[in-house]
Amino acid sequence: MSIIQINNLCKNFKVLNRHQGFGGAIKDLFSRDYKIVKAVENISMSIEKGEMVGFVGPNGAGKSTTIKMMTGVLEPTSGDILVDNFVPYKQRMKYVRNIGVVFGQRTQLWWELPVIESFRLLKEIFEIDDKTYETNMGVFNELVGINALFNTPVRFLSLGQRMLCDIVAAFLHNPKIIFLDEPTIGLDVSVKNKIRGLIKELNSMNKTTILLTTHDISDLEVLCKRIIIVDKGSVIFDGDMQKVNSIFGAYRVLRLELSEQNNLEELSAKIMSNFKCDKPPEIEPCEDGWINITINLEEIKLIDMLNYLLTLFPLKDIKVEEIPTEKVIREIYEGGM
Amino acid sequence: MKRFRFYARLYILMISQYIKARMQFRSDFYISTFAMILLNITGIFSYWILFHSISSIDGWNFNQLVFLYSFALLATTPQQIFFDNLWVIRISLRNGNFIKYYFKPINTLFYYISEVFDIKGLGQLGLALVMLIYSSVKLGINWNLLNIIMLIVFILSSALIMISLMLLAASISFWVIESVSVIMLIHKLSEYSRYPITIFNGVFRFIFTGIIPIAFIAYYPSRYFLSQGTFDVKVFATPFVGIILFMIAYRVWTIGVNRYSGTGS
Repeated sequence: MSIIQINNLCKNFKVLNRHQGFGGAIKDLFSRDYKIVKAVENISMSIEKGEMVGFVGPNGAGKSTTIKMMTGVLEPTSGDILVDNFVPYKQRMKYVRNIGVVFGQRTQLWWELPVIESFRLLKEIFEIDDKTYETNMGVFNELVGINALFNTPVRFLSLGQRMLCDIVAAFLHNPKIIFLDEPTIGLDVSVKNKIRGLIKELNSMNKTTILLTTHDISDLEVLCKRIIIVDKGSVIFDGDMQKVNSIFGAYRVLRLELSEQNNLEELSAKIMSNFKCDKPPEIEPCEDGWINITINLEEIKLIDMLNYLLTLFPLKDIKVEEIPTEKVIREIYEGGM
Repeated sequence: MKRFRFYARLYILMISQYIKARMQFRSDFYISTFAMILLNITGIFSYWILFHSISSIDGWNFNQLVFLYSFALLATTPQQIFFDNLWVIRISLRNGNFIKYYFKPINTLFYYISEVFDIKGLGQLGLALVMLIYSSVKLGINWNLLNIIMLIVFILSSALIMISLMLLAASISFWVIESVSVIMLIHKLSEYSRYPITIFNGVFRFIFTGIIPIAFIAYYPSRYFLSQGTFDVKVFATPFVGIILFMIAYRVWTIGVNRYSGTGS
């Protein structure tokens, strides 16, 4: 029996069709003209105990809505959702004892209080016995040195410190499932690594099931074996991270800042004729005179492309980046994975 | 009962921590308390000036009005002290922070209001008590056991009415984004509870008794003490109005909580 079992989950929102202008605003007051927005359309998945699953998709794909249904905030329009044998929205109070939720952008600690007091309050709220509390706090101190932060009010913590505290706080009552929404957002690389290490450690320690939402592909590479990709309210990929990784790995985005204005079409034509291949590089202009060239490394070597570009025109600046999630999703659609 | 003890213990813990944290800004506490007391003293002062030229308002003399004022002040104090967080609910609803109240195995309303304890309300409480004692001595109210019990019952009922009205107004935020005007309206209307309802015309008397029952916050219950012997059924309706109104308000709150979907991510 899977710990998370979701079948044909749907969530519709009723949204008022708004009219324009002042007259429209008056009309809206009395309007019954609703449209149905399908935020989640027929999502099914099952997650086993102890798994760490990456849950990804572009903005507006329905990730948040799905997580909100899984955590008991929203009631599904249709479909079944069973987490740890609970129907989340029906048995919220009992259910949330078994889960931990972390939202990267917003803390659930008490803003005004010193860190230790937040933990003491959580101990009371979740009715954690002294022994479990002491053991866990000991573990947290070993992992992230939390004792050093005990007397600092939460609002004085740096974003990284706050995130570490928020994550361990979610684990304090030994939940069976943890929902982590963007735990590394806005953090620098060293803190990101620390947080990834912490999540990995906590996952393996108690076999806690973790569902991780992120836009950072390296989070997924380090943490997740399995990845579920949603787009437009539906699951478009559910499987091995390595498969997705081969797509990420196979592409690079070359970002160039040109020192003079160039004709983009002319440039495209030149590149196309020089590199003849099945999947031609994609060239698109960006803001501030940058252009992005997405290349498939299996077809074209990065160094060849760079060398060729340097013969064409002087470059002011170069960046090499991984391809964004949106492109990966398109690849998955087109590649039919 | 066990659950009640759990919540009581939790509340004391949360609030004592909150007060400790607030006390770091001591000047903030002193200034706001001082301002609060001053505000109410000027309220009484305007009565006092008024009574220099007239001897009574609609049959109510100065001391009776002070009694009514202090009764109303006392009845709004629990809402002021314990439910102050309701004023800003639209902020956490709009920026999505409200979602955190779903993730703890405790009542959402309890969790929400336990985050703020309005310390300056204690100043209001003190002032109201002083005024109540002063005026009742002047009026020669006999504080026997029955009257003291009735005072406690009435104050609690009136406080419940005030809390329910604010809770209803705040719950509108689940449906309407800019709800602060509704809260302001209720707050302003509640200030009329300091006046004898008979000074308003029939329409307002009807509204304040039957629709937005602010007449039950102070006017009806205080008549029990001021005109003893004349028993109006409305005087004794106060506790029931309080309980029924709270049940409605809490229900609306629950529907709102279930309806809220947060913001995107």
